[in-house]
Amino acid sequence: MRVFVGVKRAVDYAAKVRIQADKKAVDISNVKMAINPFCEIAVEEAVRLKEKKVAEEVVAVSIGPKQAQEVIRQALAMGADRGIHVTTDMRVDQELQPLAVAKIMAALTGEHDPSAWLLGKQAIDDDSNQVAQMLAGLLDWPQATFASEVEVSEDKKSATVTREIDGGLQTIEVPLPAVISADLRLNEPRYATLPNIMKAKKKKIDTVDAASLGVDLAGQIEVLEVSEPATREAGSKVEDVDALLAKLKADGLL
Amino acid sequence: MLTRAAMRVASRGASAAALTPARHMSGATTGLLGGNNAVGDIFTPTEDHKQLREMVRAFTKAEVEPQALEHHRDEKFNLPLFRKLGDLGLLGITADPNHGGSGMDATAAVIAHEELSASDPSFCLSYLAHSMLFVNNLSVNGTEDQKARILPSACAGQTIGGMCMSEPGAGTDVMGMSTRATRDGDDYVINGAKMWITNGAVSDTELGDHFVVYARTGDKGGASDLSLFLVEKGMPGFSLGQRIKDKCGMRASYTAELVFEDVRVPAATHLVGGPDREGKAVLSMMRNLELERLTLAAMSLGIARRSIEAMNAYARDRKAFGSSLNRFGQIQRLIADSYAEYAAGKAYVYATASALGLDSAGNRVDSDGVKLYCAAMAKNVADRAMQTMGGYGYCGEYRVEQLWRDAKLLEIGGGTNEAHQKNMARDLSHVETLP
Repeated sequence: MRVFVGVKRAVDYAAKVRIQADKKAVDISNVKMAINPFCEIAVEEAVRLKEKKVAEEVVAVSIGPKQAQEVIRQALAMGADRGIHVTTDMRVDQELQPLAVAKIMAALTGEHDPSAWLLGKQAIDDDSNQVAQMLAGLLDWPQATFASEVEVSEDKKSATVTREIDGGLQTIEVPLPAVISADLRLNEPRYATLPNIMKAKKKKIDTVDAASLGVDLAGQIEVLEVSEPATREAGSKVEDVDALLAKLKADGLL
Repeated sequence: MLTRAAMRVASRGASAAALTPARHMSGATTGLLGGNNAVGDIFTPTEDHKQLREMVRAFTKAEVEPQALEHHRDEKFNLPLFRKLGDLGLLGITADPNHGGSGMDATAAVIAHEELSASDPSFCLSYLAHSMLFVNNLSVNGTEDQKARILPSACAGQTIGGMCMSEPGAGTDVMGMSTRATRDGDDYVINGAKMWITNGAVSDTELGDHFVVYARTGDKGGASDLSLFLVEKGMPGFSLGQRIKDKCGMRASYTAELVFEDVRVPAATHLVGGPDREGKAVLSMMRNLELERLTLAAMSLGIARRSIEAMNAYARDRKAFGSSLNRFGQIQRLIADSYAEYAAGKAYVYATASALGLDSAGNRVDSDGVKLYCAAMAKNVADRAMQTMGGYGYCGEYRVEQLWRDAKLLEIGGGTNEAHQKNMARDLSHVETLP
């Protein structure tokens, strides 16, 4: 089976971000970017499927400007076989929105015929958590979101997926092809080792212009303003439980 | 312990907290030397170097940092962690890819040493002794047979190697060494002792696996007196003299005296570079010393960077007389001087690395110069970090006093300051005008 993995280039988890002067977006010029952590987990799972001889080919797909190739290279260094770079100059943290991303992926699906899409459950820039669900809807494939365990059946016709849900864990079986989204505890991604970093240079990345896919890329949501979270004000101390209750009541919280 | 991914997600928060500019996060390095993450400058010549740095930094943060303090306190070398460096392809970072190496350049070696040292200089010192002094030495100077036999296991971390040059009675005066290899039929017979050998032991009683050993094969009083041998654990007469303990710093790296009593090595296979290399070790020595000094200087960069981060954060958060410490001129001087010296050293190290071929000699002025400058720089910066942090800086938990003690070794090991000054002044004496 062929597994497609989405890899998004997002602001690095440790980077300190600022808001643009016009308050229309986060300022991403000269901020350290990296592979979205949940996408990295998805890549790791796909590579493990390949190592278990369940998957024959793992293809890493990223949408974005030319620097998106950096995260594809990282996926290749982790063990993906080849990459597809869908080029666009739209900002992937807010201009290119989940529905357009899902439509791009659906268009690629028709052309390349993967047996599964493995995606991160969300990206840490826009935190939308929508692409996997929308992609499954567009393709009319089953979806298994928030996966913490993925087991593909011997005949490769279905997958048993353990999902992290509010009440605990839910185990479902989905026929393949399907869309699976990775939660935090699915695996611990490997480091890209030096020999694999070198080998990744020889792997192929195909480039496709997003505008050539016949997909409406326009956003459905307009960002009116981006603002910093309110600064937390200092708390106060109370003497005892009675005083606490009195204060909570006085503040209308109880 | 949080997983790596969990640390990432947790510290950002998989929610609106993604926009929170938390004060204690590292990150906004734009505008600082090498801070743009741009491929193509001397710090990151290629995409490979960028990925290498990201990989070593992530590994260091997740796996090296958490064990550093404990291993330092216990004077214990972390062998299992060391072997993991083999899985990552770091142990053979510059070595021949045909024999298990990663085939990267001097800049890559500098990146690895800088990153590891920012968390654990003594662990990095063991890495340096193995990867630069042993693996790279054999990769550059050894025969195909020697490389095929030794390098794959050394690059994988299955075996541990080191290099033997100094002796109990000869250090900077390297030509004064007295360990002797005497030809006897098809063998050489080695007698003598070697001192301060990093990775000489892997426990109180057990030798490291392989060593390249410089020994005297002539008495003409010149460069042709020295030869380089491969000596292996288990050879009769080769033993651990003493494990040297209670060092000032670099306490999680094992140092030993090694003893050679009638150690018989076959000339055909154990003279590094082949049986015709008797008396020709000085070129190998010069090549390897340049890389050794460059990477020791790179370790200084890691020590200085960590020290500056520690003092900078402390001076911002600690209040005295109603304001942050970093509002006081005395402390501003400590921080700013440290940063400027660190940045100057970093530029010098990376510029020298970009010009250093692994198999060339002839960069001695600058490969000595980077270490001469950076070792003192790192020691001074760590000292200022301790001064800024006061009583906290003087205690182990805050790490800078360890960095201060570790940094001192860099003024002694791999060439004393005085050795660098001697070499540099001698080489510069032939120069009329500087470029």
